[in-house]
Amino acid sequence: MEYQSQAVAKYYFTAAIGLFVGQILFGLIIGLQYVVGDFLFPEIPFNVARMVHTNLLIVWLLFGFMGASYYLIPEEAERELYSPGLAILMFWIFLVAGALTILGYLLVPYSTLADLTMNDLLPTMGREFLEQPTITKLGIVVVALAFIFNVGMTVLQGRKTVINLVLMIGLIGLAVFFLFSFYNPTNLVQDKFWWWWTVHLWVEGVWELILGAILAFVLIKTTGVDREVIEKWLYIIIAMTLITGIIGTGHHYYWIGTPEYWQWWGSIFSAMEPIPFFMMTVFAFTMVNKRKREHPNKAAVLWALGTGVMAFLGAGVWGFLHTLAPVNYFTHGTQITAAHGHMAFYGAYAMVVLAIISYAMPIIRGRAANSNKAQVMEMWSFWLMTVSITFITLFLTAAGILQTWLQRISETPMTFMATQDQLALFYWMREIAGVVFLIGLIIYIMSFFVGDDEAA
Amino acid sequence: MDEMFTKSMARNIFYGGSLFFFLLFLALTFDTMGVVPQRDNHENITPTVAAGKMLWEKNNCIGCHTLLGEGAYFAPELGNVYVRFGNSTEAIKGFIKSRPKDGIPGRRSMPQFNFSDEELEQIAQFLKYTSEINTAGWPPNKMG
Amino acid sequence: MTQTIKKILPGDFAIWIFIYAELLVFGIFFISYAVTRSNNIELFNESQLLLDRTAGMANTVVLITSSWFVVNAVHAIKAGKEALCARWLSGAILLGGLFVMIKLFEFYSKSVEGITLSTNAFYMFYLSLTFFHFLHVILGMVILSVVLFNTRKGSYNGEEYTGVETAASYWHMVDLVWIVLFPLVYLLR
Repeated sequence: MEYQSQAVAKYYFTAAIGLFVGQILFGLIIGLQYVVGDFLFPEIPFNVARMVHTNLLIVWLLFGFMGASYYLIPEEAERELYSPGLAILMFWIFLVAGALTILGYLLVPYSTLADLTMNDLLPTMGREFLEQPTITKLGIVVVALAFIFNVGMTVLQGRKTVINLVLMIGLIGLAVFFLFSFYNPTNLVQDKFWWWWTVHLWVEGVWELILGAILAFVLIKTTGVDREVIEKWLYIIIAMTLITGIIGTGHHYYWIGTPEYWQWWGSIFSAMEPIPFFMMTVFAFTMVNKRKREHPNKAAVLWALGTGVMAFLGAGVWGFLHTLAPVNYFTHGTQITAAHGHMAFYGAYAMVVLAIISYAMPIIRGRAANSNKAQVMEMWSFWLMTVSITFITLFLTAAGILQTWLQRISETPMTFMATQDQLALFYWMREIAGVVFLIGLIIYIMSFFVGDDEAA
Repeated sequence: MDEMFTKSMARNIFYGGSLFFFLLFLALTFDTMGVVPQRDNHENITPTVAAGKMLWEKNNCIGCHTLLGEGAYFAPELGNVYVRFGNSTEAIKGFIKSRPKDGIPGRRSMPQFNFSDEELEQIAQFLKYTSEINTAGWPPNKMG
Repeated sequence: MTQTIKKILPGDFAIWIFIYAELLVFGIFFISYAVTRSNNIELFNESQLLLDRTAGMANTVVLITSSWFVVNAVHAIKAGKEALCARWLSGAILLGGLFVMIKLFEFYSKSVEGITLSTNAFYMFYLSLTFFHFLHVILGMVILSVVLFNTRKGSYNGEEYTGVETAASYWHMVDLVWIVLFPLVYLLR
């Protein structure tokens, strides 16, 4: 580890993994509720368990992005982090605020939480992924600003590499677009229009810049390929991301009361959103093939390659399957959406965070890579999680196709609930795959504690 | 591979292309804001409807249901429930009011929120307002 | 392999990635137009009558001429004639400006008639395609201006003129798109 302050990343990475475990446990709960409908009812109704699941996902990924930034920015900027103390303070504030929010979801009825947190002063609660009380959202803004200030000062006072700059643009974009979560108009069409300026422009926009920068960093370090080559491809990839993804926002504007020309603009541009993911996959494989060194951390390289492939499949291919308006008319709001969402989030964002943790944690702990034993275990966890999420996606895709047929296309359409009963088998299989995913995650955590401390 | 293209050209395409498409997006957004009032049924956003949306949010209905296809996929689409229930706000209110507080054994269950009659009316009016938004013919049928 | 590609495609390859992406978008848009038209022939024929073909014709001449100017600019810089190159580029940019003005007049008259993206399917395509193309003309003018500035600064010479070729390639794409767009949208009945 070149700079002592990179070690603050360890806090963030540890919290990220812990919250990831929480996310999966609650995922298993809601997966079970799909088929045993009153499981934990009324103490933990589905919507509460779901908001815990999705919010934990977002927060652990944010911890992961911050940890990644605290690790790679000092190294790229060739100087110590501006303020390690501020980073640690923000860590605890973010973690405690997050934990309190999750406890709030679980311990009191949501409407009570809204009253307790004075939601009426500036009502921002009650929208998907943005269930956090307004005061939590304000806390997130404070933490994000402090974080951006910290890493921003580090970059400003140090070397401004392309990776640093792209990461900073992504992070600043993340903060700016989060501000739209404070705008909650009474007009439902307006509400939905601007909601996507946070959600879409995050995960199909600025988050991809963060993903690209982290992936490029890991590739430079593990392959030894010339920085110039990696950085120029990074620019092309993120150029294609924004060129397709900005207008691609229109694929959320087909059926929510916005004008119908979005069906054309959104379809055409979002159909091209897989292109940057395809380029990322080719990019990762090409760089590894042309590598100039054999890095001892094989696990990290596996995560990096896997990120490209799974992001392309989950976000790119599965996204494409239901992005064209004529198809989406029938699949909108079905299990197809859930299928795409799971593989996309895992492939693009969960995996890139796991990739940087895989690369950086051993170094923070004092070696270039973990022992063979630990790496093999980590690679097992990679395959277990990746294959099981693929099966989750396949089962939900099957469920979604059947749902679309029975509920939307058939000339004798079934009701929503009757249709759901027909999908039970797929939901059970999904749940089993989910258990395998959890096993993979447990093995992943175990890999941190096996083997001796010597490098492979 | 090395000099096929330069890093600075790639950088220019990134900045130029992103700015270009962001400006285009702003232009389309501007047009959309001008057109939306003809489609969004805003004339029917009464204080009752507004209060209904507040209740919708404070009770996180979207955590189980979809509204215009967006939300959770545990419970039915409610954008068109007004139509599905025979254009009846009474039917909507009756349904919400009748949810057993301990759920239905073995079935996906909706909480009993103990809404007042006024609150039930607000939610029902909100859902009626939603059903009248011009959603380009979505959903395909009344099942939602 | 690299050398062969370099000879076939003039200018920096990065712009060609961008050009291909743009051609893909326009191509899909054109096909979408054609398919929608075949389902709405009467509507399309009727609405098309309101288009200003004279303006469209004029713009076609303007763009083709401006592309020819750009070809001359590239020839000039290859021959090491920087000042001449700059003059051809200036001419091309001015013609681009003329295109922009004619187009703005066309958009203005449509807006005065109350025609918007939401009027009907034909006008949605007409306005989307021409406005999208219009923005590309402006971007092309920006790119040519940067290259003009660099040429006057002496950044290019008889050996090193990749920047000029790159800008020229982009400008020719913009011209090519118009050459397909104009007959397809304005003329085809």
